Amino acid sequence: MRLPTVADIERRIPRPDDFDSRARGPELTARVGTALGICFAVCFLTGMWSHLQYSTPGWLTLSPNPTQLYRWTQGLHIVSGTAAIPLLLVKLWSVFPRLFIRPGRGARALVVEALERVSIAALMGATFFMLASGTLNIIGWYPWEFSFRRTHEAVAWVAIGALLVHIGVKLPVIRTALGAPVEHAEHDLDPSAPTRRSVLLAAFAASGLAVVLTAGQTVPWLRRVSAFSVRPGDGPQDLPVNRTAAGAGTAKTALDPAWRLELVAGDRTVSLSRDELLAMPQSTHRLPIACVEGWSRNATWTGVPLRDLLALVGADADSDVVVRSLQTRGAFGSSRVVGNVAKDGRTMLALALNGATLDIDHGYPARLIAPNRPGVFQTKWINRIEVGA
Amino acid sequence: MRAVRGLLVALGVGCGLWGVWLMRDFTREQLTSEAFWLAGGVVLHDAVLAPVVVGIGYAASRVLPAHWRSATATAFVVWGTLTVAFLPVLSGQGGKPGNDTILGKPYVLSWVVLTLVLAAYAGVAALLRRRQARSSDMKTLHGSGS
Repeated sequence: MRLPTVADIERRIPRPDDFDSRARGPELTARVGTALGICFAVCFLTGMWSHLQYSTPGWLTLSPNPTQLYRWTQGLHIVSGTAAIPLLLVKLWSVFPRLFIRPGRGARALVVEALERVSIAALMGATFFMLASGTLNIIGWYPWEFSFRRTHEAVAWVAIGALLVHIGVKLPVIRTALGAPVEHAEHDLDPSAPTRRSVLLAAFAASGLAVVLTAGQTVPWLRRVSAFSVRPGDGPQDLPVNRTAAGAGTAKTALDPAWRLELVAGDRTVSLSRDELLAMPQSTHRLPIACVEGWSRNATWTGVPLRDLLALVGADADSDVVVRSLQTRGAFGSSRVVGNVAKDGRTMLALALNGATLDIDHGYPARLIAPNRPGVFQTKWINRIEVGA
Repeated sequence: MRAVRGLLVALGVGCGLWGVWLMRDFTREQLTSEAFWLAGGVVLHDAVLAPVVVGIGYAASRVLPAHWRSATATAFVVWGTLTVAFLPVLSGQGGKPGNDTILGKPYVLSWVVLTLVLAAYAGVAALLRRRQARSSDMKTLHGSGS
């Protein structure tokens, strides 16, 4: 008995022709790929928009209008990413035999083949990374050592770059395939086999179902249907909670009767108790909590407009402000409110939610609520407001 | 077309390099973890998921009765891709201590229901297909008899 040679092994590795399903083919790949490309484009643009909220460059002034904008963009971000998962899997199935293409002879063919393989590997690796890290971030599981936000942003650029290269390389194939009928010319030779049309419809159905079964966390009328949404939508005062008082280390300090709100502008400081805040003119607005994890919900908030508090310390309504929380654990213990958001009448220090005293998990004794703002910047358990800091 | 393709490739390479530049201050530990997750998905797909699916497809095409094949394939595509999409909520991981507003649904139960619904779909579609095939056989029979 002799040992197998390289040629023996090579003979045992399948070739593209060994995969005989007529459902595969560029006509299917191009159609699923187009839908997938649209999902990725939406996901990339809405994702970059979200990153701009977190680290806003000097040339950009974020507006409090439209009120529901971030709710829409971040909802779309999660929806398009979720919709992409079935499409990606079907697309990869449709091209899997190409993994076994043997490179042609000659150095040039080898180099071309190697470059294409590297670009595909980058595309696949980055795409899997984005979808896996994104869906795990939604459930709050971080089995890795990197910073989620920064790495999810950097790899997004690699993914979209590899996608653009891929489209550039494949453009002639895509155009021919999209212009041709979807079905294989000989599909009726085996009438019981799945057709390309049936696989295409199954991919679209799965993608649509993935959205419908999860989007209830941001689309209210889907709440009962979305059996797989991470946020069922319930919570104290009918609103979900991201960080509880216990989780933030404020369970005791937030209930302390000695709590005072400190307003600081330069060397002027005004200190207010909760009763004094309640004695000021209150306004009520319907504003969303819209989280980066893609859940959102409108609620009715009542409290003191921030600009009225600024007036107490003689500051302009459109001052830049920093609000600070009692929280001792976790990130986002303070947030910056830029002048054009501070002067908006709906930006307020909320004291009540949906008609009742603010729950401690929603930020009692007082929290910030402002229109068109990511949830993590709606600071809870506020004890200090600094003007021009 | 040549110019468009060149532009797409150049723009793509630029975006990719910008992404790499954004990682310039990542520590070695962070980069190792990132590389593991970048490569892990590709390996998991190409070496495990895809061969398993190809094997299932091969077996199904030989084992299943003719009228079951297409319906089963459709149900399997929907079931398999949705199962992968819902793996995070099915994993039992994540969530936050003392916070029942996150991950508060019976996901595994819903997945069992989803599986049963898709199986039922495959069964009904297969039966319809068999009835269709029989009635067209009958037509052919009558056609040849007259």
